Amino acid sequence: MIKEKISSQEIIDLVSSKSKVSKRVAEDFLKVMISSIEDALLAGEVVKIKNFGTFKLQWNEPRKSVNVHSGEDILLAGYHKVTFTPDVILKDLVNEPFAHLMPVEFDSENPEPIQEKTDVALDPLHIFSDQASEIKDLLSEIQALSPKIEPKEDVPVVSEHDSLPIELVDYQVREKPVVEQTQNEQQSKVHIPELTPEQIKEAEAVVSTPEVVEEFVHEKPVIEDAPVKDIPDYFRKEAIVQQPTESVIYHQEERINYQSRQEEQSQTNDSVSEFDSTEFLKDISPKRKRRVWLTILIIVVLFVGTGAGLYLFSPPVNNFVLTTATNAKAGVLKASENISITDMFNTISGWFTPKAKLTPVVKTIVVPKDTTANDSIDAKEPVDSLQLLFDNPRVYKTFIATETVKPNGRLTIMSKKYYGSKDFWVYIYEANKDRIPNPDKISKGTLIHIPKLDSKLIDVANPRCIKKAKELHDIYVKKAI
Amino acid sequence: MNHKELIASMAAKLNAPKSVVADLLETTVATCTELLVEEKTIGFQSFGNFEVRKKEERLSVHPSTQIRTLIPPKLVVNFKQSNILKDKLKDLPHHD
Repeated sequence: MIKEKISSQEIIDLVSSKSKVSKRVAEDFLKVMISSIEDALLAGEVVKIKNFGTFKLQWNEPRKSVNVHSGEDILLAGYHKVTFTPDVILKDLVNEPFAHLMPVEFDSENPEPIQEKTDVALDPLHIFSDQASEIKDLLSEIQALSPKIEPKEDVPVVSEHDSLPIELVDYQVREKPVVEQTQNEQQSKVHIPELTPEQIKEAEAVVSTPEVVEEFVHEKPVIEDAPVKDIPDYFRKEAIVQQPTESVIYHQEERINYQSRQEEQSQTNDSVSEFDSTEFLKDISPKRKRRVWLTILIIVVLFVGTGAGLYLFSPPVNNFVLTTATNAKAGVLKASENISITDMFNTISGWFTPKAKLTPVVKTIVVPKDTTANDSIDAKEPVDSLQLLFDNPRVYKTFIATETVKPNGRLTIMSKKYYGSKDFWVYIYEANKDRIPNPDKISKGTLIHIPKLDSKLIDVANPRCIKKAKELHDIYVKKAI
Repeated sequence: MNHKELIASMAAKLNAPKSVVADLLETTVATCTELLVEEKTIGFQSFGNFEVRKKEERLSVHPSTQIRTLIPPKLVVNFKQSNILKDKLKDLPHHD
């Protein structure tokens, strides 16, 4: 670096020409200025000049040293030293060429973003996978149990939602006419084992999916259509089944009560004693089963709830869901499309709440359904004009000015001049990319076009604009390196 | 001694109004700043030299967190007193 030394005479010339005073006046002034500073310093004072810096006296302690030639110890005398601390303004102006450079942290650069990711995304996934494995275990247990028990035991697999009460009621209704009942019993016995492998499979894949449940609900009537046709009660049930799940819950409760009454009747009835024992077993075992199923259902609903939440609110999780739990994802998709999670929760609450409270439960369903739908839409589409402005590729067509690069000229200086902040130099660079190979070193005499920018983009007061510019800065500076 | 006090003492020595002295000081400072920005050394006879030095980039390690940070190069203004001034200061008694 070749440094040109400017003597005090040259300073005098410059000052006199600038402030239009004679050289003598300027010379006198400078002499007086220096002597004043010296006097003040000699008096032990600190001299502060606005926009320039501060002069201070510093006492350097005497220290021991060794004479290089003789090897003797010598004592260097202490002395006073005038130190100069440049003012922030002067400091920034002088450091302008390197002002765009930021300190780079090496160690923290890599671990930090990863940590953030684990905090935000992976923890819910852990819960998610834990739940998934729990459910898998439960399902495998059920699968292991089901072949040992009578084929009838499999009915509750589907009935966890809707079909169990219908089934049971169907049988019990048919109990009264003895002849029909036997036929039906046989028919259903034939049909149910046919279904069970399918049911288990389906249940394993998406136990909680309402659509699947609906399918089964529809399926049942079709199979039993022929034998049950002569019972008028059935048509009512079919109609109910095709209604939304809420109403089904209501009728389920009715049926459960009805069922218990039927039970008593069947106990008293001696004529059908042969079937009583089986019916009895059937009535008791589902009750026990149902409790187990309720817990499973709760877990499953929670699982679907978290799954849906993850799916809706964190898009990066989609990939994970896609790859690892495609079944669950399908369930979540269907759940979000057809019936909201709140419906699922209401289904459970319907199981627990007594008959009297059923009507209010049905009423409350509509409200949460709407809110959840709105929430998901809001989360998916954050409408932000500024973000759009950031994301859109910038096209530079109009220019405010053209500048020729001076020696030691910087893009940051131009940015400060035209946009008010040196951070926005990146936009000038973007507009002149073809002429600037390296933003750190723009060669002297290069013609720089200053682009016209949207005032929202270069809002000095808006921290987001600065942040965006800094992001771009990082990109370009790293690229240049 | 702050900026105003300096102007006052100079005005007294020059027998000139403070406003004129303030203007002159301002232009002097502006001139010096301009020259320093152009990375030129300014030498004031019997006072000292102002020069711009480049501090090279360096790797700093945070003592407690052990985070290594690359400090970018920078340009700083440095003042070195002249020997004349140093001699003058020799007479000054030091306090400790």
